[in-house]
Amino acid sequence: MKLTHREQDGVVILEPKGKIMGGPDATVLHEQIHELISQSKLRVVIDLAKVDWMNSTGLGILIAGLTTLRDNKGDLKLACVTDKIQSLLTITKLITVFDAYDTVEEAIAGF
Amino acid sequence: MGPPPTETARLVIPSDPHRVTEADEFLELALRKHGVPDSIVTDLAIVTTELVNNAIMHGNRQNIDKMVTLTVQFSGDIVEIRVADQSDDGPFDPSTLPDPLAEENLLKEVGRGVFIVRSLMDEVTFEKGPTGGTVVVVRKSVKSE
Repeated sequence: MKLTHREQDGVVILEPKGKIMGGPDATVLHEQIHELISQSKLRVVIDLAKVDWMNSTGLGILIAGLTTLRDNKGDLKLACVTDKIQSLLTITKLITVFDAYDTVEEAIAGF
Repeated sequence: MGPPPTETARLVIPSDPHRVTEADEFLELALRKHGVPDSIVTDLAIVTTELVNNAIMHGNRQNIDKMVTLTVQFSGDIVEIRVADQSDDGPFDPSTLPDPLAEENLLKEVGRGVFIVRSLMDEVTFEKGPTGGTVVVVRKSVKSE
């Protein structure tokens, strides 16, 4: 998984690309979120448009990001969730945990 | 009893978490070579990486001297995937896992892998390996949906 980021309207947009399946993936996103918190950047959108698929490790990474940001009075939202990831979020009931939007702009507006 | 297996591929990797990508590449190559539709390739890749991660992290406890064996076998329209570890205390009993859908478990970062495997596959069994350890066997029809 590769990870890039940008800022828009005071929100950080993280853009993972590829498959999120385990191994070193877990630390990359976590370290990025901790770095953002240290910079007091507490509103984060994860744009999933370029994620081919993820397994439960990927879901765990999203949950860790969400709880870490909320523990620091921030929040995390999902954007551009693909059908496969939407299906996983639904069957695991995580769709009730995350705010998910069709576009990055809608996710930003959700803050 | 179905038709005899027509094709078997096997990969053996040490229990290093970084090797899961190799398992995924091996699996997807075998499936695409067999003409499996993309959506089913994705489901099988999700499941296989779940099982390989579990074998590495939980079965073999990241001991790189212990191996994980991934076997992919086709019999007619059915693909069978086996992931075997070399744990000392197999076979794993999935009934011991907490319910990942329970309210108190929703925000846990781990514990939903086996649930996902069962949701995506037609059959899932946990067996004892021939020399101990756990072998997880999953089967899926690969006919176009």
